[in-house]
Amino acid sequence: MIFLIEYNRLQGKIVKIERFDNLSRSRAEKIRLDIELDLSHKLINHEVVLLDAVSEKAVRRTHRRYFENVSQIAAL
Amino acid sequence: MKLSKTRIDHLGDQLRKGTIGDSDLRTLDDYRRSFGQVYETVVQTIREKLQLEPTGRPAKSTSSIIEKLHRESIRLSQMQDIAGGRIVVENIAAQEHAITLISRAFDDISIVDRRVNPSHGYRAVHVIVRILDKLIEIQIRTVLQHLWAEFSEKLSDHDPGIKYGAGNRDIQYRLINLSRIISKFENIELKVTDLLTKSTTDEKIKLKLESFQQEMDVDKESIIKSLKDIISFDSKKEIP
Repeated sequence: MIFLIEYNRLQGKIVKIERFDNLSRSRAEKIRLDIELDLSHKLINHEVVLLDAVSEKAVRRTHRRYFENVSQIAAL
Repeated sequence: MKLSKTRIDHLGDQLRKGTIGDSDLRTLDDYRRSFGQVYETVVQTIREKLQLEPTGRPAKSTSSIIEKLHRESIRLSQMQDIAGGRIVVENIAAQEHAITLISRAFDDISIVDRRVNPSHGYRAVHVIVRILDKLIEIQIRTVLQHLWAEFSEKLSDHDPGIKYGAGNRDIQYRLINLSRIISKFENIELKVTDLLTKSTTDEKIKLKLESFQQEMDVDKESIIKSLKDIISFDSKKEIP
């Protein structure tokens, strides 16, 4: 499963998340580029990243920063 | 389309200067996509043959590439983490096992052990696989190393210097202290695992194990306390 995440680092929040099946990587990459071009035109500095994992649970475990605030990350 | 090294590094210079146009973003996209096939091979091998669960990141984000170019004197063509993945395992024994499996699965690898040489407190092991002159970086972290790294990265969203030794001094001090405690804890954990695999019938070893376990309990309490201290400090700063 592929996840396309647009992340606002200053606010520490996901702006947009899109999910794709594993056969749609090329389409996800094209959308990523479109988002980056659009952000560049608007002079907005967001992080746009593609991740692929076996499940959303897995991506939330390995990339908690995108999904959780500091206190949630620190919760043991 | 194959991009020459000269063109890639020229693109890197443009990104470093901050003069980025649509054509630069498109070229960067082409460059990142050129890792796709090798990336797929590496991640699929790790998933299917080694039965490990990496989260793949087929291409480093533009903002992360630009930050790295600003931070280091590296050329874009030299960056070894354009594509990669991350594996989080339970403990340091499992980390060692994962490193061994990945090292055996590929012909040309190099290992960067940040447990031995932490980067501003960051500890993990990065295995870099080279196939067809493309580098794919696999980060292998224990749960504790990962917790520390996620925490540091989250704080760096607000204060980017934190990850690289240039941020708020108090937070950095606390993070490095916490990293040392985790390191000590994991070293003991590894010793206990070693002993457990050797024998549990020997009385001397049993006593040693009990002693180690007591140390581990104390260290774990220290880790939790340090973490809470940082959170308490952090909440005053209103970091998201």
